[in-house]
Amino acid sequence: MVKMQKRVFLTKEDQANYPFLKEATNFVENFGVNLRELSIEDYPSIIPRATQWIQDNIEGNMFTTNIKDPDSDILAYPLALAFLFGLKKEWVINRFATSEQKRIKTLLLNENPEHIIEIAKSGFGWDLESININQEEAKFQFSISVANYLEIAPQFHSAEWKLINRYVDKGKVYLRNLEYARLLSGAAENKIKKRAMEEEVRKFELPEKFKPYLINITKIIEQKKDIYDEETPLIWVEEAKPPCVIAMLNDIESGKNLSHMARFTISTFMLNVGKKVEDVLELFSRVPDFDEGKTRYQIEHIAGEIGSKQKYKMPKCDVLRSFGLCVGPDALCEEVWYPLIYYRKKIEEMKKRPSPVPQEQSEELKKVRKRLQKNV
Amino acid sequence: MYNVVLEQFQHYYKSLRKEDLSLLHFREREFAFLQFDEQTMIRHMSFENEAEMKDYLTIRPPAHLYYSSAYYQNPQDSNMGRKGWIGADLIFDIDADHIPTECKKNHDTWKCLDCNEGGVGFPPEECPNCKKKRISTNTWVCDECLLVAKKEIFKLIDDYLIPDFGLSEGKIEICFSGHRGYHLHVIDDSYKILNNDGRREIADYVRGLGLKPDLHGFKVISKKDPLLMGPDIYNKGWRGRLAKSVYAHLNKCNSKELKKLYLQEKNEDEEEYRERVLQKISGSPTWWGGLSEAQIKKFYVIALEAIKDMACNIDERVTIDTKRLIRYPNSLHGKSGLRACRISYNDLERFDPLGDAIAFKNGSIKVYVKDVPKIRIGDTEIGPIKEKDRKEIEVPMALGIYMICKGAAKPV
Repeated sequence: MVKMQKRVFLTKEDQANYPFLKEATNFVENFGVNLRELSIEDYPSIIPRATQWIQDNIEGNMFTTNIKDPDSDILAYPLALAFLFGLKKEWVINRFATSEQKRIKTLLLNENPEHIIEIAKSGFGWDLESININQEEAKFQFSISVANYLEIAPQFHSAEWKLINRYVDKGKVYLRNLEYARLLSGAAENKIKKRAMEEEVRKFELPEKFKPYLINITKIIEQKKDIYDEETPLIWVEEAKPPCVIAMLNDIESGKNLSHMARFTISTFMLNVGKKVEDVLELFSRVPDFDEGKTRYQIEHIAGEIGSKQKYKMPKCDVLRSFGLCVGPDALCEEVWYPLIYYRKKIEEMKKRPSPVPQEQSEELKKVRKRLQKNV
Repeated sequence: MYNVVLEQFQHYYKSLRKEDLSLLHFREREFAFLQFDEQTMIRHMSFENEAEMKDYLTIRPPAHLYYSSAYYQNPQDSNMGRKGWIGADLIFDIDADHIPTECKKNHDTWKCLDCNEGGVGFPPEECPNCKKKRISTNTWVCDECLLVAKKEIFKLIDDYLIPDFGLSEGKIEICFSGHRGYHLHVIDDSYKILNNDGRREIADYVRGLGLKPDLHGFKVISKKDPLLMGPDIYNKGWRGRLAKSVYAHLNKCNSKELKKLYLQEKNEDEEEYRERVLQKISGSPTWWGGLSEAQIKKFYVIALEAIKDMACNIDERVTIDTKRLIRYPNSLHGKSGLRACRISYNDLERFDPLGDAIAFKNGSIKVYVKDVPKIRIGDTEIGPIKEKDRKEIEVPMALGIYMICKGAAKPV
């Protein structure tokens, strides 16, 4: 049942802990911190805190805010983000965001319901409702609107977060046990990643004067890059193709007319594993309604050679399932949410346990192994 | 296209009031047109207001008129990146063409483009003769398949949007597409910022896709003496739907199926068993106990089979897309000459798509009919007329234009 909510106020410490809160961003704005004018002499405590924040998040140590001086940490966060975006490394941004998610989740697990509701409202404009329902297998602590839930939950890629597997009633999704913490911290993670994609941020250049403070961080990034920079090897390995891709390629072979989504999937897959526009074009020349001009235009668009000049990503497993293009997963599929991760893992697996491969493939495989050994 | 059709379309747009073209967020939408006999769509149009649009339509009546489900900062910009996506309506599309119905064998035909094999009814995925997939279709609609589409819309609203999504009737706008189905628009700002992933979850939800019974309370709590906890039929959402589906299946299956699927003891009386389990499932509190683990697995199979009747047959691509072009309400459909029209929830039951959507209410026309199945427009029925019996007849204007737009007749 819905309880009357007691209004709580968010303290300075809350703002330092949860830097996405409206109160925290208002504070930063009022303070008028400006990157161009900021110098280490003015705010001696801020820059070290900002660099510490990034360092801890890259190394996977939980950054702890200083409760004696929350103001500095509230100000350090936007500076940390500026440093982070100025570094221009996607994997570092992802690693920072993931560590923030874990840090925030841990903190949220120790908050009382009134506090959690206020954090959700201030940080994301969400209306969480405190409820207390015990169902056979779970205790429901909160409900959230379907629309708010769907802003975040789809990125978790597991059956239990799928809307269809939730208790949904009158526009509300019921959250089981401690799931609120995962959802809210996921929203915080998302906020960072989304901000990083904005055009203004992508164009952002860090003022020169700050670069000396990032020397240490740059060293750590160098050390960690091999572990976290999960770029798919840009090499075609026949045996590593995921089942969905195999099925689509078979369809092309048998002269089937593929759906738009299947064509898009095949194109993005091939272009992401080192094939060229010409290779993809050659493949599609086998489909019954092949039109070279149109097809070339579309593939070049997907490859980022024309139009928006951005290479398209391959659709995720969820998407392929919705479009009926997932052909039934194998064991490795169960572990992944993205066909290209399947591909990468399969290659790693092949590297560990060499299996008999056709003659024409072995040279290419040697290359892959060599490359992978360098990366591990 | 024949002049008579162009004239009728033009006359229709001239007679429209500008209010008939009213649309939420009008200035932020992209508009698109497809002219008769043209292959390329004119896109990235924007208008100051409805009156300006009406003028355009009167001068160049299109075969098809669309607007974007999305709202943009610069709807006229042809670069999708610079358009500035603000949000998009949540839309559902139900198309009679995608739902297999018995009536299709009366009015639909298909032909293999490779070996010329052909047949009637819902088209096969591959040609039964040459196994190739290039299949062309000639499809029509009748009262029966449009009724099935309407039932799907009711199912979507009454079983999902109102109870599960908490939407009121006022937040739901229903449109007949003017040809084969219905569009449903959710007028609720909270959904407008959802990305494709969020919308896919909604599409999967109403399609019954990805459902895992064990996440809805089915649970074996003791292996030794199997005891099953489960949802009850009074639960909301899919949890309740699952319990109801098993209840319904158990209720209707014959004694042979019952024996095969459920019975633990071979000598137990089937009817007594059925009665006992049904009582337990519908009791309060619910108890699914006394079943073996193997039976529980069968329950899952039954549940997943039974939900097929409960799921909605929507075209998921429309719901998932955040930049879809959708037919404009009160515009004419170039493949039927019928009007795409808004219908309130209360009027949906008695709405007759092949009557109420007629745009050309006056006059008659002489046409040369080539090949039509039995069809009806308004009060007039015609057909079937086979190609060998092709003939000249005078029919009401709406029916004549309908057959011409479908390519089955030409004006005399």
